[in-house]
Amino acid sequence: MISDRITSNLRRTFRESLLPKIGMVLLVSIVLMAVFAPLLATHDPTRTGYYDEGGNAYPPIGTEYTTQIAVDGEIQEVEVTADSAHVLGTNNVGQDVYSRFVYGARISLLVGFSATLMAMLVGVPIGLIAGYYGGRVDDALMRVADTMLAFPALVLALALIGVFGESPVYVPDPIVSLGLADGMPESIPIPGTVTIVAALVIWVWFARVARGEALSLRNEEYVKAAKSFGTTDRDVLIGHVLPNSVTPIIVLATIQVAVIILLEASLAYLGFSGTTLSWGYEIERGQDILRTRPWVSTLPGIGIVLTVIAVNLLGDWFRDALDPNLDEGQRGA
Amino acid sequence: MREDVLRVEGLSTRFFTGEGQVNAVENVSFDVREGEVFGIVGESGSGKSVTGLSLVDLVGSPGEITDGELWYRDAELADEVREEFPDVVDGEYVDLRGVPESVRTSLRGTSLSMIFQDPESSFNPSLTVGEQIAEAVEVQQRASSRPRSTRARTDGEEYSLGSLVLSFALPSRRYVSEESRERAIELLELVGIPDPVERADEYPHEYSGGMLQRAMIAQALAGEPDVLVADEPTTALDVTIQAQVLDLLSELQAETGMTILLITHNLGVIARMCDRVGVMYGGEIVERGTLEDVFRDNVHPYTEGLLGSVPDLESVGGSLDPVPGNVPSLLDHEMEDRCYFADRCPKAMEACLERPPDTRVEADGDHVVKCVLTDLEYGESPPLPDDHFETEGADASDGGSNESADASDKSASPDGGDSR
Amino acid sequence: MSIAKFLVRRTLQAVFVVWGVVTIMFGLRAVSPGDPATLMLGEGATAETIARVRAQEGLDEPIYVQYLDYVQGLLIGDFGYSWRSNREVEAMVIERIPATLELAIAATVVALVIAIPLGVVSATRRNEPADYGATLFSLLGISTPNFWLGLMLILLFGVWLGIFPTGRRPVGLVEAIWTLVAFGSAGDLLTWLQHITLPALTLGTYFTALITRLTRSGMVDELGKPYVTATRAKGLPAVLVRYKHVLRNTMIPILTVLGLQMGTLMGGAVITETVFNWPGLGLRLIDALDARDWPLMQGIIVFIAVAFVTINVFVDALYSSLDPRVNDE
Ligand code: SF4
Repeated sequence: MISDRITSNLRRTFRESLLPKIGMVLLVSIVLMAVFAPLLATHDPTRTGYYDEGGNAYPPIGTEYTTQIAVDGEIQEVEVTADSAHVLGTNNVGQDVYSRFVYGARISLLVGFSATLMAMLVGVPIGLIAGYYGGRVDDALMRVADTMLAFPALVLALALIGVFGESPVYVPDPIVSLGLADGMPESIPIPGTVTIVAALVIWVWFARVARGEALSLRNEEYVKAAKSFGTTDRDVLIGHVLPNSVTPIIVLATIQVAVIILLEASLAYLGFSGTTLSWGYEIERGQDILRTRPWVSTLPGIGIVLTVIAVNLLGDWFRDALDPNLDEGQRGA
Repeated sequence: MREDVLRVEGLSTRFFTGEGQVNAVENVSFDVREGEVFGIVGESGSGKSVTGLSLVDLVGSPGEITDGELWYRDAELADEVREEFPDVVDGEYVDLRGVPESVRTSLRGTSLSMIFQDPESSFNPSLTVGEQIAEAVEVQQRASSRPRSTRARTDGEEYSLGSLVLSFALPSRRYVSEESRERAIELLELVGIPDPVERADEYPHEYSGGMLQRAMIAQALAGEPDVLVADEPTTALDVTIQAQVLDLLSELQAETGMTILLITHNLGVIARMCDRVGVMYGGEIVERGTLEDVFRDNVHPYTEGLLGSVPDLESVGGSLDPVPGNVPSLLDHEMEDRCYFADRCPKAMEACLERPPDTRVEADGDHVVKCVLTDLEYGESPPLPDDHFETEGADASDGGSNESADASDKSASPDGGDSR
Repeated sequence: MSIAKFLVRRTLQAVFVVWGVVTIMFGLRAVSPGDPATLMLGEGATAETIARVRAQEGLDEPIYVQYLDYVQGLLIGDFGYSWRSNREVEAMVIERIPATLELAIAATVVALVIAIPLGVVSATRRNEPADYGATLFSLLGISTPNFWLGLMLILLFGVWLGIFPTGRRPVGLVEAIWTLVAFGSAGDLLTWLQHITLPALTLGTYFTALITRLTRSGMVDELGKPYVTATRAKGLPAVLVRYKHVLRNTMIPILTVLGLQMGTLMGGAVITETVFNWPGLGLRLIDALDARDWPLMQGIIVFIAVAFVTINVFVDALYSSLDPRVNDE
């Protein structure tokens, strides 16, 4: 399981290098931002219509700009200063960019972690069983795995969403329901299909890693010994094989969280996500006004990049400390 | 008396690891004479492999030769570098530590070559054995076809990345020529590999360990080196194969007249092969001299411990493990200023708490010992109580030193220390 | 096992995989909501026309008959007709291949040309500024969503600096080369180069970063192996040790990873084509999805699967020819 050697390795690598520290600080801040989104947001992120006098989006504070106002039927250019209420300006439907940025973290993290967890719960048992018993079961799994890998994850996700629709799941917001934040949405929509599809396209990687571990442990002396004492296969798997697979699976899981956050963003960008409160979707929304209002697309992208960097840094840290043999080959969906 | 081909003076090699500075080789001096077999014997972690690597300038990061002189006899080379580097030339000898790296590189393979303990991991698994030997032949031929003065300056860059890329496109630009391949086959035959033509096209994994060690010897011979450093050349092999490989080395030495520096932990191998021996302990050579000096007239208690109660040279055999206690830590901050062997030495005295100097047993001989017993009889200085080191530094000698012995082992292997 | 036998086995596996993809796609279509005939004809169609089309298309047959028909069609290269445009799916796929292929190859070239030297430098100068730079770059590269990167590139190079055009690809590579050869005018080729630069960078950055990381870590491992010291000990020039021996051995396992990453490359191509309005298969796939044009969607996805497994069989063959140990197992 998590032995003392592993924890001391983790601690030492953390102490010795800067990158895990950066990753940790980043991820903790983003998680805090997601959790306390209703307190941090300045406006209801779904409320539209925050426009300047000319009916245009506000720019971020600190930029001066001109807007067009119709005066007596004639369009005039007028100097306007940014509205201090909208720190990062507003988007083309007049939503507060900063508030949407804060809320966007929730979707990314929720989808990333829950899909990885689901994939792990499906993939690890299948992989363990296939690797442990070998033979037909194993062959069958490997063929299924090959087929899954032949589908580009994104394409598979698109096809599945095409069939099952977007099915958003509304999760009530505990902070709002406790009455701690006024005027914020009472629930946020999690893209249900996207989450399940993401799990579906990556479980194979977990199955492969678990299978590899089971395969190599099957012939270990202590596993054989346990079997010869009459321990059931189930107990051998849970008691011996699973604990030994934990480290590579943790490393893999971290990498996959990053992969899924990117996948979710891509799907949202393509408009297949089912929620509009997502960084990816926001980038798409800003695309049409990229030339005149570049901040709408730029800011959510920075959010994605920072989140994924944080997760990757922690993944590198785990990999260096736990299992130098796992490599980038697992970085795929 | 035959002349020295190599004179090592005060060589120190250190590794700068996360745990601290490791003094793998500490102020080591010895000389190797033309055409002889000089043995270096010691336990693992004693610094003997690093000494070998230091001679061919292959100590990898985080290791570094920090001090010392390596005088190598080469009249031609001496003439060439005398102008530019007068300080490092002494008659026919050149201090290799004082010349530019490119000169050392140009000597590698052709003047000084090295073979290693584990033939299986010492060949590139994805090229044929013939190709790899042919590369060594090519190195030799390119070196001898050009005057050394230009070689020293251009070697390394002479075969550029550009020509490498070209060689993929144009077979005629390959580094290895057809003649070199043929010579490789001859060499395989020379070291006793049957069907050399076919075997040249096989990959290392298709060879047995003994055959592969022969192939590695062939590869080293390809450069026609003056000095061959053989680092545990038989350790990974079966006993019968060991004998064959040693015979082969002796035969080849008789034929080519090369000098061999044989590094081993096996006293039997030393007794069988060597003319003179150095015994290493804790990164130092603690006793050196002729085979007789060391095996019969030894002074240092460590040498004595190694040999145990072996009555005569013929019956010496087997590996080392006779001295009770731990291999010393080579971590700089754990090394105390005393005889490094004192904690295991049965004859440790108070005088041993200072570093003993190298002392010649006879004023004009070259039997050199690093031990106070050259001057004192046991008991002339108060003996240390048995528990002296346990009370003084329990933490440093027990768990602590075990761990650091591991660390120095790791760094002492040619490249393990920095691979992660 | 001989190479031939190995290849036969891998090819059979590949066929099985493609069959799996075909079946899954057919299954998805069967369970997907919406009546095909209605989708084909649009909302306004009369009941009779719908009935007629259903009969014509065999939609009233039992599902297994439809499945067999479909598979049979695929075997002779008949992918059916697009519901939307009523054109042959094969033609609609084939006409879009060049644009996607150009993009994929350009991105791969960008990735390999930048990543391998970067990885080598990073591995051989560990913990020097060059290594830190490469590490930072590759971290950013694998963490940046490519559609956003594409937009930022457009913003920077297209809008602010005005160096590269951001419009749709006006000319294909084949035509451009043709004008060069036939009329001696390089103008088309330049136009093509200008237009493909940003999309290729967008698609290639992730792979550049990934391969840099792979090369670096692989090479660091490889450099620590005893044969490297042994090879240097025989006096081989450093360039040869580094490239002929170490890099070669590093690239062998990386090759397999790259084969598997082709799926990601194709997914990335879909996105990149959307961002740049690049007239390739990916853009057509998105259109087909929007229109629920199942035959077209199936056709494109089956094609992608075939391409993917073909590449991987090829990679395996290459692998077994590079690593002599494979064939002896
Ligand atoms: S110097 Fe003293 S402790 Fe060291 S070996 Fe000689 S007698 Fe023993």
